[in-house]
Amino acid sequence: MANKHTRLAAYLAHRSRRGTTWLRMRDIMRVSIREVLRKRRRYIGVIAAIALGTAGFITIVTMGRDLKTNFNNDLDMLGGATIINPYFEQEGMERLEWFRDRTLASLARIPGVVDVTGILTKPRAITTFQDRIFGFNLVGVDAAYWQVFSFNAAAGRLFDAADVDQGARVCVVGTLLARTIFGGDQQALGQILSIDDNLYQVVGVLGGVRAGDRGQFIFLPITTARARVVDISQPYSVYMRCATWDDVAPVAAAVKTVVEANQTARGLRVNVAWEPLKQVQRIFWWVTLFIYSSIVATLILGGLGIWNIMMAAVVSRTREIGLKKAMGALDNDIFFQFLFESLCVTMTASLLGIGLGRVGVEYMSHMLGARPPEGLFMVCLAAGLAFAVVIGVGAGMYPSIRASRMQVVEAMRYE
Amino acid sequence: MNSPTRNGGQGDLVIDISDLTKDYRNGEETIRVLKSVNLRVRRGEMVAIMGPSGSGKSTLLFVLGLFLPPTSGTYLVSGRDVLSLTRTEQAIFRREMMGFVFQSCDLLENSTVYENLELPLVYAGVKRRERPDRIRDALSRVNLEHRLHQPSNRLSGGERQRVSIARALVNEPEFILADEPTGQLDRENSLRVLDYFNKITAGSNVAMVVVTHDATTAEHCNRTCVLSDGVLNG
Repeated sequence: MANKHTRLAAYLAHRSRRGTTWLRMRDIMRVSIREVLRKRRRYIGVIAAIALGTAGFITIVTMGRDLKTNFNNDLDMLGGATIINPYFEQEGMERLEWFRDRTLASLARIPGVVDVTGILTKPRAITTFQDRIFGFNLVGVDAAYWQVFSFNAAAGRLFDAADVDQGARVCVVGTLLARTIFGGDQQALGQILSIDDNLYQVVGVLGGVRAGDRGQFIFLPITTARARVVDISQPYSVYMRCATWDDVAPVAAAVKTVVEANQTARGLRVNVAWEPLKQVQRIFWWVTLFIYSSIVATLILGGLGIWNIMMAAVVSRTREIGLKKAMGALDNDIFFQFLFESLCVTMTASLLGIGLGRVGVEYMSHMLGARPPEGLFMVCLAAGLAFAVVIGVGAGMYPSIRASRMQVVEAMRYE
Repeated sequence: MNSPTRNGGQGDLVIDISDLTKDYRNGEETIRVLKSVNLRVRRGEMVAIMGPSGSGKSTLLFVLGLFLPPTSGTYLVSGRDVLSLTRTEQAIFRREMMGFVFQSCDLLENSTVYENLELPLVYAGVKRRERPDRIRDALSRVNLEHRLHQPSNRLSGGERQRVSIARALVNEPEFILADEPTGQLDRENSLRVLDYFNKITAGSNVAMVVVTHDATTAEHCNRTCVLSDGVLNG
């Protein structure tokens, strides 16, 4: 074999006009691109399919976590599937332990935890307004409490971190209480309530999907409640909000260890809404499966489309293949021309899909008010390009091999 | 048309085939299409192969182009045995040593004249900057320089065949094989193409083998060989 090559090399040496393989490959690539551009109409369908599949993949994967977080917010309004409630159980009439500040700080550092809030309570508190006496549940909370339960202000405002830091004498009242005492939400704003001989200005009325459960509550800044309210409890109960439902199980499992690292955990219980959580996960799993199946189906159809078009191209261009071989094209030249054409189509589709995906990410970022990490988009971009190469090579391989192995005589006689 | 200087009596031997046979198998039956064919073509010589349909003309042309392997015999080009070449070496041989002109003026559709002529140069690995001159030179030999960037589907039949000839010449081959080159042309265009053939073989010392039915085409050649029932005479 080597002898034959040596002989042929000597035979052709005087002509010395063979270029490098790279030169030829570059030219064949150029010919392939030209071919695809000239016959672009036949590729529009598969390009659109692959572009849409790639765009969907990039958008869903890049925005996936933000979508889940956003979905969590909506779900928490309905049932708080991602809220974990660690608490110390009462033994007889006494609770033996409560959450220390350092414990709360450590709980907030568990990966996947978005907000932590501890609450102080005084049930059956009373207040007087215009010589009338009203009973209610008094709760001392910090500003994170509102985020944990997705509360907002039905009227006025909810006290913020500055109010908590300053120990301000302000309060937020439940809707039912606002109506009972003041006759309505707006009428409550700016009123002064007397609780345990201290006067508090009503700055807001509690609103939100779950505000109805707390209609008979009055909320004070936790610092104010601790300093001024007699017989108010220690923070026996804590609410932790997780970023997504995937974080709930690991966070719940970590709570005990974290508490034990900071204080005694005797009587500690962790309350999680497992059943709603499972239902949510199940629903989202099916939705995710459906979306990814659609994307995969689109990409597979795109790949099959390319395979089909390339096979048709090989048949319809049989004489052209024969002609090129008669002109001295190597089997590899024909193979790479068809493979490059296939790759050219998938890469074009992929680049188009990446562009559309970027638009999708920007749009969803705007809609969700979140900004996904740029690195994640770049990973998806690389995955999209890699996938285009896989589809291009996968779908183009067999037609290219078939074209390259065609016999010149049969090809030239093909009608 | 035969002149003493183009009579095949001088110049180097380009094509030399001896005792060449080609069999086709049809089930159990073996059909011998070429029977001990001997053919010698010299540089600057234009040889016509004539014969009735089914006589084996196209088979002979395909064997000469290394598209079909013969069953037996020898085939030398410029003194070198080319039947022992591998598939890749055959392709290199075709692009370096040989030009092909087809009856149906096969040009790449949706491509310009330039692109059609560029392709053999691409396969031969000719540098890009050298190509325009080579292409213009080849086109000038068939008086079609002015059609350089014309799409091939806007050319007349005669022009398409001239582009085919230019394409066969662009790699400066040792010999050209032409399969019914005037088969689809009117008389005027046929004569013009044959005139170019004569100029090319005389001017550049290229050998040419023309398979034809047409007596006028044969008259333009230095020598006519008749292939009848697989036997070549002349």
